[in-house]
Amino acid sequence: MSALMNTHTGMTLHAPQPGPAASVTARGLHVGYGKQTVLDGLDWSLRPGQVVGLLGRNGSGKTTLLESLLGLRDTAAGTVHLFDQPVATLDDALRARIGYVPQQSDLFDWLTPAQMLGYFKSFYSRWNDAKVDGLLSKWGIDRDKLIAKLSGGQQQRLAIVRALAHEPDLLVLDEPVASLDPAGRRDFLRELVDQVLNRGTTVVFSTHILSDLERVAFNVAFLDGGRITVQAPLDELLETTRRVSGTVAEVQALVLANRMTVIGRIALDAGRQQVLARLTAGGAEPPRTAAVLVEPVTLEDLFMGLTR
Amino acid sequence: MTPLDLFTIATGSSEPIYRQLVEQVRRFIAGGQLRAGDEVPSVRELAQSLAVNPMTVSKAFGLLEAEGLLERRRGLAMVVAQQHRRAQPAADRIGLLRPTLERAAIEAQQLELSPAQALALFKTILHEPKDDTP
Repeated sequence: MSALMNTHTGMTLHAPQPGPAASVTARGLHVGYGKQTVLDGLDWSLRPGQVVGLLGRNGSGKTTLLESLLGLRDTAAGTVHLFDQPVATLDDALRARIGYVPQQSDLFDWLTPAQMLGYFKSFYSRWNDAKVDGLLSKWGIDRDKLIAKLSGGQQQRLAIVRALAHEPDLLVLDEPVASLDPAGRRDFLRELVDQVLNRGTTVVFSTHILSDLERVAFNVAFLDGGRITVQAPLDELLETTRRVSGTVAEVQALVLANRMTVIGRIALDAGRQQVLARLTAGGAEPPRTAAVLVEPVTLEDLFMGLTR
Repeated sequence: MTPLDLFTIATGSSEPIYRQLVEQVRRFIAGGQLRAGDEVPSVRELAQSLAVNPMTVSKAFGLLEAEGLLERRRGLAMVVAQQHRRAQPAADRIGLLRPTLERAAIEAQQLELSPAQALALFKTILHEPKDDTP
């Protein structure tokens, strides 16, 4: 069931994994700090094998959400299930199938990479030494230098090595490439692609680097106002969303006449507005008029229009 | 030889990546860079080479197969289908350029450029030496 199927051909890209499939389900999640609500009854689910990019502005709660999914945070209300089990009581065998790269490095900086990885290896029944050695060499990480003395980028790469070493079926990455240069980011994306190809890993990751997200995230989810407001395959979103600009009345009329669904709104000056609106299924392109501008959108347009 | 290097994708576009790949294969076949019987890279090879999600690549190949441009062979790489032996006539090839130019036309209008100005720029670009740097 966790096999990544090519819907057009029925081709399976990798062997299915034994055990329950790596799904994620959150229902009615509430998390707040003091009076501030961060997650406000959030519902979210990831199907096995999906690669989902999580998008939201700074401070929108992406880290809180990812930590809540992993059971690392107290939630005021709501439930999280991973592999169809409540996260609070997840058994060790399933816990060992999760890989996590936190935003903040927590890498035992008084150890060397070799010592730290040796320590983590002892917790897992599965550990791919060849992969670890390969990545350390490829990424030029000195096994015997104190982690504290590694650069920010090297520490981030090491965190990625650690998260991939036990070949997880669910991979959670919180801004995994923030300190990496473009070459490092490309290396990382290739590892992610390999992981998906070879294991059908379910991946959720947050990043502000939209070009990376576009490459590997087949699905995107937008976090805004404490909820996932839009989740869809990126291809579909790009193909069915239009940016419509004009006076408030004209935009409204065009959207109504073409039965489009408004998913984002940007107020402009002088009684004008811009909306992001989705065409109806199989939707025809709205006819061009002189008064209203209808344009295709990019992921950046979606980000600007769907997050505040 | 697998023509892996032929394929490129642009991020930040309103055209989804799978669609870019479909258009590229169409152009390569129309222009004769890919001929009937030529192997195309596997989903795995192309996904790794471009660092894109394999589902995206297989979506593109699936569409090309449905269109009859690519053929699947059991256990082997996909190949360019037989009916595309020759480069297509110019009329067909120019049709492939139309979507890109339509987008450029919209932008030219938004920028309030005259048709003559836009055409002059296009002409200049066509004659620019091809930049080989990635």
